Amino acid sequence: MSKPVMLKSNKYGINLILDEHMDFEELLKCILDKFKESEGFFKNAKMAISFEGRKLTQEEEFRIIETITDNTSVNIICILDNDALKEELIRQKVERFEEEQAGKTGEFYKGTLRSGQVLDCESSIIILGDINPGAKVISKGNIVVLGALKGNAYAGANGNEQAFVAALVMDPIQIKIGDVIARSADKVQEGKKRKKKHSADVEVDPQVAIVKDGNIYIEPITKGLLNNI
Amino acid sequence: MSEVIVITSGKGGVGKTTTTANVGTGLAQLDKKVVLIDTDIGLRNLDVVMGLENRIVYNLVDVVEGNCRMKQALIKDKRYPNLSLLPSAQTKDKSAVSPEQMVKVIDELRDEFDYILLDCPAGIEQGFKNAIAGADRALVVTTPEVSAIRDADRIIGLLTANEIARVDLIVNRLRMDMVKRGDMMNIGDVTDILAINLIGAVPDDEQIVISTNQGEPLVGTDCKAGIAYANICHRVLGEDVPFLNLEEKDGMWNKLKGMFKKN
Repeated sequence: MSKPVMLKSNKYGINLILDEHMDFEELLKCILDKFKESEGFFKNAKMAISFEGRKLTQEEEFRIIETITDNTSVNIICILDNDALKEELIRQKVERFEEEQAGKTGEFYKGTLRSGQVLDCESSIIILGDINPGAKVISKGNIVVLGALKGNAYAGANGNEQAFVAALVMDPIQIKIGDVIARSADKVQEGKKRKKKHSADVEVDPQVAIVKDGNIYIEPITKGLLNNI
Repeated sequence: MSEVIVITSGKGGVGKTTTTANVGTGLAQLDKKVVLIDTDIGLRNLDVVMGLENRIVYNLVDVVEGNCRMKQALIKDKRYPNLSLLPSAQTKDKSAVSPEQMVKVIDELRDEFDYILLDCPAGIEQGFKNAIAGADRALVVTTPEVSAIRDADRIIGLLTANEIARVDLIVNRLRMDMVKRGDMMNIGDVTDILAINLIGAVPDDEQIVISTNQGEPLVGTDCKAGIAYANICHRVLGEDVPFLNLEEKDGMWNKLKGMFKKN
């Protein structure tokens, strides 16, 4: 006969795996015995408890906890709801809400992101400045850079491939949208003489990066493109 | 009350120590009272570049630990009486000094000197944190190379995060022949990325190698680097000095001169 009560610990606390069919009073005694057995190990421990394997009413749950706390030195702080289905539903709702928020709202950031700096944002973000190589912008929504994007940008950080990255000067090291990542082309050796660029004349060529068919496309911003995003 | 300037870069080998020695000597030539502090503990070389290594008895760590008085550790320069050096220790490492101790050392020197120059070690850890602890302003040194500029960008971010009020840029080891060929970035490209005020551009000069080996800073002498450093000193004092025209006129006359020089 398999054990009626099994103690398993997880990262949150103790998981009590209970036999389904046993009579409740007997089960209670088995639980108590089990805890008394491990008294030395659990001495004065504070833990969270969760139940598995048997549907318990609230009263039954409380009785178990009472029994444990009254007769051993273990201190039960709280009960963890182990209902996997409930957890999943809640998680989905929260994520969907976050996605909607990310799509509708936006934040502004004024200033240049220097190498080594990371800007992590829940909502879409508009940056009034440059992103230097070595800097990173992460957003669950879209990223708009009113300046030069020369570093890394990660839009749609929660897996949203509908997000886009736009910049006045698009020269990123890496772009990631959703789960699709793209890197800049390796620098080709140019034997030609470089044009002497004056700093005032940096070419401003607004471009936007979007995901199409699982790849990242970077295209100049035209009216048609913006409507299709 | 003195101005405390830290000379830093992030990347190693771009010319911080050379710049500290030359700017310090240049300011002393302009009759300011200057003290140079080498904060690179364990790998000191400001004393070598200044030519004062045989005069070291006590060092920065001795002062911090209380083994000697400040006056005993300070070394007067052999050419300029208003220039002093507080050398670093060669036998300890960067954990021997804390930022708070650095601030105390600097406070002790503030009344005596017009300018305190701190030679910062490469990197962004304890040595860097020690060096910027008491600083009012910073000079960031970089070469026109991609790797140096990345590191300089990081350093500038850290300096502004640590609330250093003034950060100025020195572009070192410029080679105008390579810039013309398109093999090296020009000054405009560098300032484009780093976006801070340019306080000086120093060309790559053979004389620097000779001067550091001999322990004689070349600021104020006739070579291009010497003139560039002298200009930087004037700009540190707040004067407006036009930038050197670093481009060599490649005419017949100069080519002839070159041929005669080789003989």
